[in-house]
Order: sequence, then structure tokens, then C-alpha cells
Amino acid sequence: MAEELKLVRGYPEYMLESIERVHATRAKRMEEGPPPAMSMEEREEVLRFHPDYAPGGKRPLNVGPNKGEIAPNEVADLLEAYPVVDPGDLDLSVDIDVEVLILGGGLAGTMAALWANEEGIPPDRVLLATKLRHGDSNSVMAQGGTQAADKPYDSPVIHFLDAYGGGHFTNKPEVLRALVEDAPFIMKWLTELGCLFDRDENGEFVEDWGGGTSRPRMHAARDYTGMEELRVIRDEFRNRGFMLLEFYPAVELLTSPEGRVNGAILWNMETGEYKVVRAKAVVLATGGFGRLHIRGFPTTNHYGATADGLVLAYRAGAVLRDLDTVQYHPTGAAYPQQIVGLLITEKVRGLGAQVVNREGECFVYPLEPRDVEAAAIIRECYERELGVVTPTGMRGVWLDSPMIEEIHGEGTIERRLPAMFRMYKRFGIDMRKDPILVFPTLHYQNGGVETDPWGRTNVPGLFVAGEVSGGVHGKNRLMGNSTLDCLVFGRRAGIAAARYAEECPRPGPITLGHVERFVEELRAAGVPEGRRAPILLPDYRGKRVLARMIDLL
Amino acid sequence: MERLGYELAELPRWNCCGTVYSLSTDDLMRHVAPVRNFVRVQEMGEGRLVTLCAMCYNTLRRSAQFVSADPERLQRINAFMDEEPDYRGGVEVLHLLQVLRDEITFEAVEAKVERPLYGLRVAPYYGCMLLRPRGVGIDDPDRPETMELLFEHLGAEAVDTPHRVECCGAYQTVADPGLARERVAEIVGAASRRGADLIVTSCPLCTYNLERHQLVAGDGRGTGARHASHVSRHGIPVLYFTQLLAFALGVPEEELGFADAAIDPRPALSQRVGG
Amino acid sequence: MGQEIMERIREANEAVITGIDDADIKHWVTIYIMGKAYRVPADITLMQAIEYAGYRFVRGAGCRAGFCGACATVYRVAGDWRLKAALACQTRVEDGMYLVQIPFAPAGKPAYDLEKEPPEGSVLLRYFPELARCVACNTCTKACPQELEVMDYIQAALRGDLAAVTELSFDCIQCGLCSIRCPAEIVHYHVAQLARRLYGKSLPVPEHVEERVREVEAGKYAEEFERIMSLGREEIEELYRKEQREKGGLKSGDASRVTRNGRGEG
Repeated sequence: MAEELKLVRGYPEYMLESIERVHATRAKRMEEGPPPAMSMEEREEVLRFHPDYAPGGKRPLNVGPNKGEIAPNEVADLLEAYPVVDPGDLDLSVDIDVEVLILGGGLAGTMAALWANEEGIPPDRVLLATKLRHGDSNSVMAQGGTQAADKPYDSPVIHFLDAYGGGHFTNKPEVLRALVEDAPFIMKWLTELGCLFDRDENGEFVEDWGGGTSRPRMHAARDYTGMEELRVIRDEFRNRGFMLLEFYPAVELLTSPEGRVNGAILWNMETGEYKVVRAKAVVLATGGFGRLHIRGFPTTNHYGATADGLVLAYRAGAVLRDLDTVQYHPTGAAYPQQIVGLLITEKVRGLGAQVVNREGECFVYPLEPRDVEAAAIIRECYERELGVVTPTGMRGVWLDSPMIEEIHGEGTIERRLPAMFRMYKRFGIDMRKDPILVFPTLHYQNGGVETDPWGRTNVPGLFVAGEVSGGVHGKNRLMGNSTLDCLVFGRRAGIAAARYAEECPRPGPITLGHVERFVEELRAAGVPEGRRAPILLPDYRGKRVLARMIDLL
Repeated sequence: MERLGYELAELPRWNCCGTVYSLSTDDLMRHVAPVRNFVRVQEMGEGRLVTLCAMCYNTLRRSAQFVSADPERLQRINAFMDEEPDYRGGVEVLHLLQVLRDEITFEAVEAKVERPLYGLRVAPYYGCMLLRPRGVGIDDPDRPETMELLFEHLGAEAVDTPHRVECCGAYQTVADPGLARERVAEIVGAASRRGADLIVTSCPLCTYNLERHQLVAGDGRGTGARHASHVSRHGIPVLYFTQLLAFALGVPEEELGFADAAIDPRPALSQRVGG
Repeated sequence: MGQEIMERIREANEAVITGIDDADIKHWVTIYIMGKAYRVPADITLMQAIEYAGYRFVRGAGCRAGFCGACATVYRVAGDWRLKAALACQTRVEDGMYLVQIPFAPAGKPAYDLEKEPPEGSVLLRYFPELARCVACNTCTKACPQELEVMDYIQAALRGDLAAVTELSFDCIQCGLCSIRCPAEIVHYHVAQLARRLYGKSLPVPEHVEERVREVEAGKYAEEFERIMSLGREEIEELYRKEQREKGGLKSGDASRVTRNGRGEG
């Protein structure tokens, strides 16, 4: 085997000088504290460095309900794409007939199933179909926590204000109000199901600060918050005996002649067979679009986050909103190469770690809203040239994780951030002793299918919940509001879908008429024929293999 | 034990002694669980392991002998448990009765008695695992006297019963409850005929069987209750030796779990000892 | 200027997004994917290597960050007799690695109604009587890619110690490798899930949460919501800035203190 790059404590030797500087400046930095939070004017100035604000990344849509509005190029490419199945070529005889069809197996989809059942639909009349395994989702990766204003010093109104300001006052107010008012109930309900949130010695919830929150209200389960929430409600889902299809993504919605959504075409990713599902109501809980790697950014998202739900809903006539902003998490891993882009939860900064440049200077207040924090890090690396360059040519700044142990005592990292500690340990880095290198990473789809407070869309029969929906976070989501979004609107969409199904006597004939009409619109707009969606999965196969591939079987 | 000035330390990360597999034909696998416990003892820097239960005692003690008798066996077990430090041998397994008898001594126990059990008639029940096979047992397998002596030092009168070293039916209680019921009826019947107020055991399974099957037999519904007529309707209470010991040493009654017993021992105790 | 920076960032991230360029690879290793040899870049994860070799995952890839357990993998390295287990997304390739993925674990889960079960340890043995078959061989622990003390929590389950099972199993991602390897055929991760739920159920909902739920239901905040939702942009911005500035008089140390939680240190 050839010689490998020599690593010291997991880092290439050339980085050590900068690491030592971080160590050397720590005591002074801790004493002085971080720089103050930016004024509104300073924020505007730094936001020029945010990928959303830098020109060249977006274009107006040429077709569909949001024609004329702008979206990231990568998203526009999928919204303006031809279907993967030929609508005139499919046998639409029904394979499965249910009351409620749920697309997506994360927190939102699972909640929708449970609450459709609570609303009276029997489990064997609810089908949950998901592209990967039940639970493979961004939900299980949520580390930091779930916001709920349940302490006496806090109130849903203050939670509302925080999220509204964080979203630059573009959130849909009545939807946001539902989010914050349901939050305490969600915590109570989950706890009664046996979900374990961190507690203090008096049995009270431990509640932490998050970026952009004016009160500590973040409920965490170590740094496995989403995992704990999901595995508890998934266990409940399994106990109740719902119908489940895994590795069955939806590739198209079905509509009645009047345009109501009444089913979907599911595709078995392993055998290639499709199934036609007829349903009185469909809940779309398919998640976001991180795996589109917008502007070439790495992502925190799971393998299946490819915007399928947006594509399907748009063709069925659903109105989208706030797609023009994308959330880049300020701190993704920038080194080592094996974990580039993975989430370094905001909780690390919440626990006191500062963001520090190559010279050991803390250059930004650590808990700015995410877009501001991310832009400041990009500016530090690419304009001020004070970042650290990795062996693969990426740049990053230090997150001074050893400060956490200094502030809160030895053992805090292993106790409060076991997942992250474990991840770095696997690659030879001890984050208790050395800082970690970070750079912004594509994290969250702020906008999506417009919804009312009950997950209803402008298309009858179509309900949405979770990251695929738009409005509740406006143009920027705060930490701890995404798991909450899934839990609150998964529940509400499940209830609304169940009520709709009960009131709807028959689902009506199923057609792909909406797809045919959309294809005509695409042709009229001159969209190139080769572009197809949904893409279902990203493609990371080696370039050499792809160049020499022939399809024989 | 605190009252006796003796400190026992709980083994960190202890696992089941392995008794479920103690009769397995695989000669090696069944010793993995006991030896893993010995490794924990070794890691604590200690050399002795004390257990309260006759079954655990038997399983652990036999394993200790098994591996010390043949270094090759020990080597194979150590190789299998490659994630643990090697067990070097030498851990001594003791039943708490041995500690009381040989180390603390019954005389010293007597000196700490705060509630002497004068007038209480106690039938010791050893069962089989504590005494057999010879070389593993803590006393003479046919004529044991350890518990008798202990109770006398606590002030009680030991009632000699013929079935005190016989099997209680053990796990047959699951497969063939009738058989266990028959055994229990004999054991309890004999104690009852000899006027015992209490039966005292050193094994949780014996305790379970003696209590449960007595109740079934006492109801007259037990299928094998040949001696049912000799058992009082309320049955004879069954206590663990540690409960009786602690009671005599003055540990408050609420801490002794009397309320959880299937047959309440408190009437017998208060009647004889005066609470 | 912003656009030029974005192009530089895109270039720097190229290897992660669109695959590695052979020209940039300095070090190589050979791995065997289900018995077939492939030459792949050293220093990448098993998952990246399998993709580099030309496979496109349907099963066997999920979160790609160590949280979901979809990429459970078993392997041997040439010259080492041990059968090892790992998450493909969290493990670096080694030369001479023979690997196969186990993307699904056949493990039955009994259905239960948690509301009807008392939060007691004995419930575990009732639903999972096979727990008593544990021989303490510790194979489960050796198979755990999260490095949990799996056997210890099974032993704790056997004793009915729900708090201990909770503490020891909390970081379980339910990949199922333990259950695939167990000679006693125990389904560890389902046992742990029930134990954690029973334990969680035994902890009361904090009173301040109950109180807030009652307040919301009683409409306590309705008026205030209506008021702030009717404010003009400038007024609400002012209100927002005030809250952000004053933070209710709380300091950053007030709530983020590290405390013992109800289930032990966590």
C-alpha cells in the first residue's frame, strides 16, 4: 500500500499550527466572550455572502401554478421536467384501495398515520408508503431538539415572535400560530408514549437556547432527538398494525376528473413493478431537497431527500411558496473528507463553543440566525481568507468544542453529544480535546407546498406536512422547529385527511389527466425533452464506471 | 450486613450466573456466563464472590472448579471472550451463609441481635443446590447444621424436618406443576406436623415453590396434594434466611418485604416474638 | 463577487457531490464487495467505496450520517479471523476488506398496548421470554456498530431494571446486527425499545407542561395572538428585536446547565 497522509490526532500535520493557536487563545476568548450580535444593518451586509443572496443561483419558473416566481436552478430543473412514466401508457386498474394514503415514512408521515387512526380510520384502511425504510428520513438525523414554549418564563406568543422574526416576517401567521400553540401538547403526548426527553434532577425538562430564540425552549434527547421521537412513534405505528410499503416511492399522484387528488402510483424500486393505489385522501410527507446539492453544497440530508413531493404536487396543481430561500446550516463538517457536510448541531454552539478562524479569533457571535451565521463563515473563508484549507481543497473555520468541557465540566460532550463524539472518534479525532473544522452545509428546504393550519392545500384531497410544506417557517427556519413542524402538522394533516375521507363518499375515477396537461404546458414552454422527474435517488457512482457502462439485461 | 460490620460490594456489570444452561451438554458454552462474572471480580481487584442464592452459588462454584481443574478449558473460554481480560483463575465463590458462619461467625451475629427470636420454631430448608455435590456444598449433604446453628444463635428453635435436603421440584414447577406440588406438600406437611412456625430457605426458587404450591394445596384444588390435610388453611409462611436474620438484627420491618410474601409471616412473628 | 465565491465553493466540493476524479487519487486499496475485488481510493468510507465501484444503492443507504442503521455491514479483513460489524457510512475502507451488507434484519416484534402495560420490568419477560436464553456470550456487544454494551442491557432486562436498559441502550439506532448474531435468538433492539417506552411512561409529564397545555386549550393566548398578528411590520419587528435583546432577563447559563436527567446521566 502506498504511503498515506500522516495524521496527528486525526488531523494533517499542517493544520496543527492553527489548532495550537485555537488552544492558546481559548482562555482569553472565554474571558472576553464572543463579539456582540450583529445589528440589522450588519446582518444585511454579511448576507451578501449567503448562497441565497449571491447572484446566479436561481431562475423564474416557466410553467405551473407558480409561473414567474423564482426557485433555485436545481429545483426549477425538476419542477420543469417530464414525468418518469408515460401517462397514456399505464394500466390504472386499482391494486390497493384505502381511505388515507400517506407518502413518506419520517416523523410527519408516521404522525399522520397515528392521528388518522385516532380520528377513527382503522389501521388497515391507512397505507403508509415510503421510498426507503420506514424511518429513513431527515427526521432521525435531527440532533438538536424540539422547541416548545412550556416553561413559566416563556409563552407560545414569544415562540411565535422568535420564529416570525427568524423567518424575516414572511411566515404564514395562522400556520405558525398552530405550530407554537400545539407544541406543549406534542411534548405531553410524546412523553406519555414513553418518549424520553432530557430531564434534570427534579424531573423537569432540560431546555436549552437555540439560534434566534429569545428563551431557552429546546427539548433534546441527548443528540438523538429525532431518532428518539421517530423510534417511539414508529413502535406505536407497528403495534397498531397499519399497512406499510417500504422501498415504494410515489412517482405520480392520481386525480379525479374534477382535479381532486385520489391516489398515487407507487413504484417498487427493487422489481420495477408499479402499484396503483386509490385513496380518498393523500398526505404528502416526503421531506425536502438536500440531495439536490443546491449551488454545489454538501448536505446534511438523508439519501432520499430529492424533492419528489414538490414535483408530484406541482403537477397536480398545488401552489408552492418560499422556494427562493434555502437553509444552509452554518456548521457542517468540513473535515475529515468521509463526513463532509454532515450536521454539527447548533447545540454545540448553544453549549458555548465559539466559532474561530485560522488565527484563533472568534469572529462572529455564535448564535446568530442561521443564514447570518453561515454567511459570516463564508465571508471569513473566502473574502477575508482566514479559513483553514483541507487536503481536498475545502475551506472551513474552527468550532472550539473543547470549550464545552471547560464551561460545563468534563464528560459533558460524551453525555450531551454522544452521536457526534462517536462520529469524530471513528475518524481519530477527539472533539473534547481538539476543535473541529466546519463550513456551511445545505440543510433545509424552507418553503414548499403552501398549506393552511390543517395541512390542507389548494388541491382538494391533498394534504401536506413536514419539510415538503411551505409557509410555517417563512424564508428561514429556526432550530428545533422542524421536528416540531413534522409532529404538529403530521398530526393535523392526519386528522384533516381522516375527516376529509369520512366526508368524501367516493374517491371517484382515477386519472393522470393532470400529468397530461402538465406535459402539454412543458412542451409549449419549450422545456427540453430529456429532463425527467422525480429523480428518487441521487447518483454517486464513480465517473469512470458511468463512462464505461452498457445496459444489457 | 452493615449492622454486622461487614461490607459487600456489588459487582459492576454482573450478568446471570448461567443457571439456565448449567445442565447443557455443551461443556464450554455454559461456563462463559460464570467466568465473565469472575472477570468482573478480578477487575475489581477482589478474589471472592458472595451470592445469596443457592442456585447461583452452585452454578458459579462448579464453574470455578471446572475451569481451575483444567487450564486448557480456561484457555478456550478466555479465547472465546477475547473482548475481556483473561480470567486468571482463583476467584472463590461463597454463599452468604458461609460468610456468616466462617468469617463473621455466628457468635458475632448473636452479639448484634436486637430482637431475639425466643420461642419461634423455625424449620430450615436447604434444598439440593446448596449441599450437593459434595465438594461444592457448604455443609454435610445429609446432615447439614449451618442454618440450624444460625437460627439458634438468633434465639429461635430449629425444627428438624426429614425433607430439608430434598428437592422442592425446582423448574418442574413449569413443566409438571403437579410434581412440584407433591414435593411441596411433603416438605411443608412434615414441617407442619413438627409444629414449625416458619420455613426458612436459601434459594429464591425454593421460596417460590414452597409458597405458591402450598397455597394451591391449601385450597384443596391441587392435583397432587396428598398431604393437603396436614397443611393449615393459611399455610406456613416461608422466609428467606436473610429476612429472618435482618429481623433479628433489628432492621425495621418495612424494609424486609414481609408485605410481599404470599403467606404473611407477620402474625407468626408477632405472636412468638412480640413484634 | 458573491457569484465568483459560489463557483469556488462548488469546485471545492466537487469530490463529495459528483464523485471523485481518478486523477486526484493518490492512494488506493483493494476491497471485496460480496466476493468481487474492486480497487478503490483509500481514505473513503465503505459507502463511498461501494458507489465508487459502480453500485447505486437502493437498500443499504439511508441517512449517510450514522443515525439510521440502513447501512449495517459485516466484514472480515484478510488475515484476521474476526467477523466485524460496522456502518458503511461511518467506516473507512481497509485494504483486503471482504464485506457484505445486511440491510434488513428479520426480527419479529410483538404488538402491545403500552397504555395497558404497567411500567414494570416483568413486562419485558412476558413479551420476550427468549431473554432467559441469554448465555452471556456477548456476541451482540461485539456486533454493535454503536459500541453499546448490548449484553449488559439484555442482562438488565432479565433483571427487569428498566432504568439500566434505558441508559445502556439509548444510543441504539436499531440496525439489527445484534439480533442477527445472537445464538439465543433474542431481538435486542425491540426489547430495548419496549423497556425505554415503559421507563419513559413511568416519568410524569412535568407540571409546567400540563399547565401550559391547559392554558392553550382554555384560549389564554388567543387575545395576544390576535393583537400581534394585527400589528404592522414595523411594530412587530420592534417587538421582536426587544425580545431578542432582553431575552426575558435570562442569561445564557441559566438553562443550558448540565444536569442529571431522570434516566441517569444523559
